[in-house]
Amino acid sequence: MPDPVPVDPTISDADFQKFREFFYRKTGIQFDLSKRYFVDKRLVERIEATGTGSFRGYFTLLRFQVNGEELQALTNLMTVNETYFFREEYQFQCLVNSVLPEIVARKTDRRPVRLWVMPSSSGEEPYSIAIYLLERWAGIHHWDVEIIASDIDTRILAQARQGLYSTRSVQHLPARYLQQYFERRADGYQICDDLRQSVEFTRVNLAERTDTRPYRDFDVIFCRNLLIYFDDVSRKTATETFYDILKPGSFIFLGHSESMSRSSSLYKVRKFPEAIVYQRPLEER
Amino acid sequence: MKRILIVDDAATVRLYHREILETANYAVEEAMNGIEALEKALQSPFDLYLVDINMPKLDGYGFLRELRGQDLPQAPAIMISTEAQANDEQRAYIAGANIYLIKPVKPDRLLTQVRLLLGDVYR
Amino acid sequence: MPLIKSQTAEPVTEEARKSARDCAGLVAQLADANPTARRWAARDLADCPNAAAVLLDHLKREPEVSVREVILTTLTALGDETAVAGLVDCLRSEDAALRNEAIEAMRQLPDAMAPIMRGLLADQDPDVRIFAVNILESLCHPDVETWLIEVIDCDPHVNVCGTAVDLLGEVGSMQARESLLRLKARFANEPYIRFAADLALERLRDA
Repeated sequence: MPDPVPVDPTISDADFQKFREFFYRKTGIQFDLSKRYFVDKRLVERIEATGTGSFRGYFTLLRFQVNGEELQALTNLMTVNETYFFREEYQFQCLVNSVLPEIVARKTDRRPVRLWVMPSSSGEEPYSIAIYLLERWAGIHHWDVEIIASDIDTRILAQARQGLYSTRSVQHLPARYLQQYFERRADGYQICDDLRQSVEFTRVNLAERTDTRPYRDFDVIFCRNLLIYFDDVSRKTATETFYDILKPGSFIFLGHSESMSRSSSLYKVRKFPEAIVYQRPLEER
Repeated sequence: MKRILIVDDAATVRLYHREILETANYAVEEAMNGIEALEKALQSPFDLYLVDINMPKLDGYGFLRELRGQDLPQAPAIMISTEAQANDEQRAYIAGANIYLIKPVKPDRLLTQVRLLLGDVYR
Repeated sequence: MPLIKSQTAEPVTEEARKSARDCAGLVAQLADANPTARRWAARDLADCPNAAAVLLDHLKREPEVSVREVILTTLTALGDETAVAGLVDCLRSEDAALRNEAIEAMRQLPDAMAPIMRGLLADQDPDVRIFAVNILESLCHPDVETWLIEVIDCDPHVNVCGTAVDLLGEVGSMQARESLLRLKARFANEPYIRFAADLALERLRDA
């Protein structure tokens, strides 16, 4: 039997700086000194969970693990991946005030505007977008819109189709929206039938060429808080896949702590009043 | 306080330049490649850019070309390279650099150039 | 309420594959005028024999950056000897973007890179040696520290050493201590080397 690893989960100042630089390089997330306690606490938690015994042992695992699983676990701990209605609402504002007007101004046909939400997760995001378009985008009276939401996880897709949410999940919604688009249930709120019919949920593994190949001609992709959990290669492959799913000149939204700078150089960085969005260039050679 | 963006993929180089510039009372932010630098510049433009040439995703030339094409108040840029070939320097100026320096940069030389470009009198 | 319609029950276009995905057909499509066709060919070629040679040959002529990116991704997935040799050649390219793409690709191939790493780190061209050190930045291989120590012990070029010492701050152990001290003495007139070596020394902690 191997000797138990001596446990010394202290994080020195130099350790913190070293970790901070590594994590920033990998994820784009920068922790300043005010986050020291938050970061140390989670590092200690992972040092204990992995049995690596010390910061040095743990950091070596993080830096040299080929499949990147530990970095993924740690990123999960370091970021808030809670989902709820109207989370990061400024992006929806950007969609209706800036992005969609630009898209329809360029359109030369009457075909629907197509939005892809990947990952769908339990549905809060695609339904939020549907509500936002109905309530805040005048263009909805002139254009048909298709919303397709996909996820790799079939159980979560079933949950999304059912559309049943806790009080906490809908707490940021104005009361009128809650009344109009939800039905009160004993254990929370359920999305009304009309709205549930208006979002199409499909199962897609982003890493499978055969899964993603049929997806094309989209005007907008929402891919929030997914790529940050991928390793470098998967992240690059995913953004290359999105490139062919989008029409030239179309847009992709990433999560608020994510940056295309860790994934791909293919997209144009566009600054709108509400947010930074990435655009597939209009022209190529 | 004037704001400077350091764009370099090497953490130690960023820290080295940061300490030099902060000692001279400049406010410093960092980016590790051209795309991140562009995102930061678009969010809030800087008074000066200190840019490495070789970086992943979007290199220094690409960053400066993109930056110069934006509807932003244009600020001076110093391009820094590890290479000493003449055509690198030429390319840096074409991309929009104002000054070209070879790594490793001595602290007083960096400060002299920064102050010159920002029109700051010697303090 | 205004309806948001899904136009079809099957929301995505089930477009029939334009041509058979046979390997000869894919090679031909690499020359297609449409970049989308070229990108898909570069992806699907991953399943074909001799793909690396074909892709490398095309890489030199490909004008569209998005196609080049996909070629690099496929070469990374292949990771065979031909692919790696082609990626190494890219390090000598005048095109900074291509060099950086190749460096990123090679970082993902620790097993293929390990046997040739020492050769690259001893290349005649200091720029190639710097790029070789850049590859080590994210390479998941147990010899990374050893290679870096050899660089700061032997390399005459200040920027090759400067790049290596930056990484030693991350992966260095007490094994690197003596070499870092020697490096500081060797480049006593370079403030950057002094700064970087001190920073790395501060971050060493015995395993």
